Amino acid sequence: MRINLTRFWSTEYLTAKIFLVSGAVWFAVGTSLGLFSAIHLVAPDFFANIAFIEFGRVRPAHTNTVLFGFVTGMLIGAGVYILPKVLNTRLFSEPMGVVAAVTFNLAVLVGDISLLAGHSQGREYAEYIFPVDVMIVVAFLLLTANAVMTVRQRREPLLYVSSWYVVGAMLWTTVMYPFGNVLWRGRPGAMSGITDAIFLWFYGHNIFGLLVTPLAVAIGYYMVPRIARAPLYSQLLSILGFWTLLMFYTHIGGHHLIQAPIPTWLKTVSIIDSFAMMLPVAIVLINWWYTARGRFQNFLSNPVGKFFLIGSIWYAIVCVQGPLQSLAWVQRVTHFNNWVIGHSHIAVLGFTGFIAIAGMYYVLPYITGRKIYSTKLINIQYWLVLLGLLGFFVSLTAAGLIQGHVWLHGGTVYRSVPMLKPYMTTRLFEGILIIIGSYIGLYNVIMTFLKGERISE
Amino acid sequence: MRSSEAIIVWGSLLVVVAAMFATVYWPVINIRDEPSDIWRPLQSQEEKGRLIYIANGCTYCHSQYIRPQDWGIGAERISQSGDYYRQIPHLLGSQRTGPDLSQEGGEHSDDWHRAHFINPRFTRPRSLMPAFAYIGEEGIESLIAYIQSLGGKDADQRMAVQNRFHEEAIAAWERGPDEHIRWLHSRVPQPWRIMPSETPATRASVARGEKVYQDYCIGCHGPVGDGAGPAAPYIYPPPVNFTTLRRHLIDGQYIGGILYYQIMNGITGTAMPYHKKDLESAKIWDVGNYIMVNFINVRDDRIPSAGIPVSYEGRHAKPVTKNPQPEPIQPGKGGVR
Ligand code: HEC
Ligand code: HEC
Ligand code: HEM
Ligand code: HEM
Repeated sequence: MRINLTRFWSTEYLTAKIFLVSGAVWFAVGTSLGLFSAIHLVAPDFFANIAFIEFGRVRPAHTNTVLFGFVTGMLIGAGVYILPKVLNTRLFSEPMGVVAAVTFNLAVLVGDISLLAGHSQGREYAEYIFPVDVMIVVAFLLLTANAVMTVRQRREPLLYVSSWYVVGAMLWTTVMYPFGNVLWRGRPGAMSGITDAIFLWFYGHNIFGLLVTPLAVAIGYYMVPRIARAPLYSQLLSILGFWTLLMFYTHIGGHHLIQAPIPTWLKTVSIIDSFAMMLPVAIVLINWWYTARGRFQNFLSNPVGKFFLIGSIWYAIVCVQGPLQSLAWVQRVTHFNNWVIGHSHIAVLGFTGFIAIAGMYYVLPYITGRKIYSTKLINIQYWLVLLGLLGFFVSLTAAGLIQGHVWLHGGTVYRSVPMLKPYMTTRLFEGILIIIGSYIGLYNVIMTFLKGERISE
Repeated sequence: MRSSEAIIVWGSLLVVVAAMFATVYWPVINIRDEPSDIWRPLQSQEEKGRLIYIANGCTYCHSQYIRPQDWGIGAERISQSGDYYRQIPHLLGSQRTGPDLSQEGGEHSDDWHRAHFINPRFTRPRSLMPAFAYIGEEGIESLIAYIQSLGGKDADQRMAVQNRFHEEAIAAWERGPDEHIRWLHSRVPQPWRIMPSETPATRASVARGEKVYQDYCIGCHGPVGDGAGPAAPYIYPPPVNFTTLRRHLIDGQYIGGILYYQIMNGITGTAMPYHKKDLESAKIWDVGNYIMVNFINVRDDRIPSAGIPVSYEGRHAKPVTKNPQPEPIQPGKGGVR
């Protein structure tokens, strides 16, 4: 059998397939990396003196893998499927998408290996070294071009809201990523002093606000009417939601530096806009939930719908918690401790991660022509990840409150260290639930490709 | 391009670029790019240490800025933007699993850091910090140089004090163990020297002291108080062997005040840290009692004192001197003899 390479590159949905499968792989890899960090915080000498799994090296590998490899990858996978679908066309160029997918995954792989080997730029979420940054920018350039061209060749005159968010996410990331990573400075990839902190957290927040959030929202707007089998509640709201998200999200990087020596007006802007963020979030959620009104049974009866629905609830929780913890008065207690780690996990895993998983399971049958291998396994995965995450939220928030109050009331950091023990221990076991869930998911995805029941047309 | 897509592409891009201008470019050009009063450039070994700091992700557990509300952890100075002059990248950090390090220079002696980096549990038994022995001797020395530079000119001043007493301590140690203890006690202010323990060495007090000892002291002074804890090989002068203190009791009977003072204030210039930020007064007396009862084999809480006992001590309270002779307070008579 001769494989026709050009034909292979242009197989329909190949880009989506690569992103979805790699996303499932990175989910398993990324959470396993988190396991090393979690074990460290319970038993710091368990892996003592093995350089490449030292806490400070594994942690950025964990965050970047789950953030880029898993969440971003899986969301893009679903995104490049739904974009042409809502425009009634095909992806402009499948080979271009495949190159982007391969480049992107290679970037995560090389980036992780170099982090574990001790090559880091030392800036949170921007740790990847220069060549890796370049690869990611190239991937996003290709994705943007592909998305824009797909829009231009559309056969559906009306641009459905999902397409705005998909195109937007790719476009904005292409601009914001090199800016935040200070790519023009080459190897250090950083400005100097407080200036660098302002650059970093502009980027650090927008990696959530302009990349994963819009993609997750796009998928939500696609799935909700379909699962509910009802038309979208309001077009007007979706337009309002889009522009307000963009207006407010781009201004709130300063809330990561509320007590650092940055200009006061910048802090004020970031706090006000953090509160304003409740508006676009509420708009999106109202639009989704009103569309689903009276038809929640359709979501609850199907594991994909459940993943999505819970993701939307996490979104609500995250975005009530977020504005509150941007207040200086609240950050007195919550900043610098596990409270924020709790927020991160319910945000990145609970909101965007859950919706990415829902999107993946939703899209897979359409692009493989096979039913998901096992619905039961999705259900098991759902409960494992959900319970694990709920546990994370409780343990980490509790630990954070303890640390914060010890410090605020005159205790030293060393005094607060032993108090973490019970919470870090429960988090370890809750993490294991999530990890098992991720491997079950990976197995299910692979088996769908190999053994999933074929859908007869 | 049709208008709807043009608005989305160009319009949204405009918003993003405007935000970059307003919330990044604008504040950045308006920040005064000047060093603060404590800033100084890093030397080459310190730079090397900084790279090791970045490569091993110290920043995920250690912040480098002190906030107005950090009085609890002893903030003497709130960080200013000029402190970070020319730092590429910034290392402000977002987590405080470990303490803030922006003013770490001179807080501890070099040998404390050496033992601590080999394995943090050696000097801080409950620590969650990774062991960094794998960095190698040269790397650890660079890291120490960097850590001791944190705080700029303020750190240099603290280091000057460390270095001064480091030399004195070593000279004393090399004159022999007993000379060494004599030197140590000569640096304790007179009122503390002549003070027996002020907290009765009840069983509960000794038990509390044991817990403190295990959480703070055991890595250096060792499980049996002989100064041979796992940190000892990296520390010079070595941790005091408490059993030798039996030869140095005041009037052959008591040592509580000296222990209290040394534990509270530490011995700058040596690895012996101060504990007055970590431990409340009662805990310091307790651990002193533990050391006396278990390692020195002495109890000095029965020596009468003119002090008014604390009510909770009840029937365990120290005996009170009958008709204490009020000694006139003479200014200028305290301090070193
Ligand atoms: C897992 C988190 C973690 C990492 C990573 C970490 N530390 Fe720590 N560090 C701690 C904790 C917890 C303490 C407090 C207990 C102690 O002193 O060991 C601490 C304490 C310290 C102290 C002593 C502070 C004081 O005065 O009490 C220094 C200095 C220090 N760390 C430097 C470093 C350096 C340098 C690195 C990187 C090579 C590093 N740490 C990496 C958690 C960490
Ligand atoms: C990092 C190691 C280290 C730790 C931890 C440590 N010590 Fe020490 N300690 C020393 C060293 C070294 C000396 C001797 C200093 C010298 O030689 O000048 C010393 C001296 C002392 C002395 C002075 C004895 C005297 O007669 O003057 C006392 C008391 C003492 N330590 C008690 C404690 C207690 C109690 C703790 C725990 C709360 C503790 N130490 C923790 C290293 C340590
Ligand atoms: C309305 C929306 C939101 C607001 C106002 C908000 C606010 C905040 C604030 C104030 C912090 C800093 C806390 C501190 O350091 O003390 C923070 C941290 C964080 N947020 Fe949000 N958040 C929001 C939504 C989200 C979403 C949707 C995500 C992810 C998809 C997210 C991911 C994170 C992460 C990962 C951090 C940790 C950053 C770090 O490493 O320090 N947030 N958020
Ligand atoms: C896919 C799911 C996950 C996502 C998206 C995720 C995301 C993140 C993020 C964004 C952070 C940085 C937090 C911050 O700086 O504020 C983080 C840190 C961390 N995560 Fe996860 N995580 C996931 C799963 C896990 C699992 C399963 C474990 C444990 C087994 C875990 C353990 C940790 C640990 C230990 C840290 C470091 C916390 C610290 O510095 O104290 N994570 N994770």
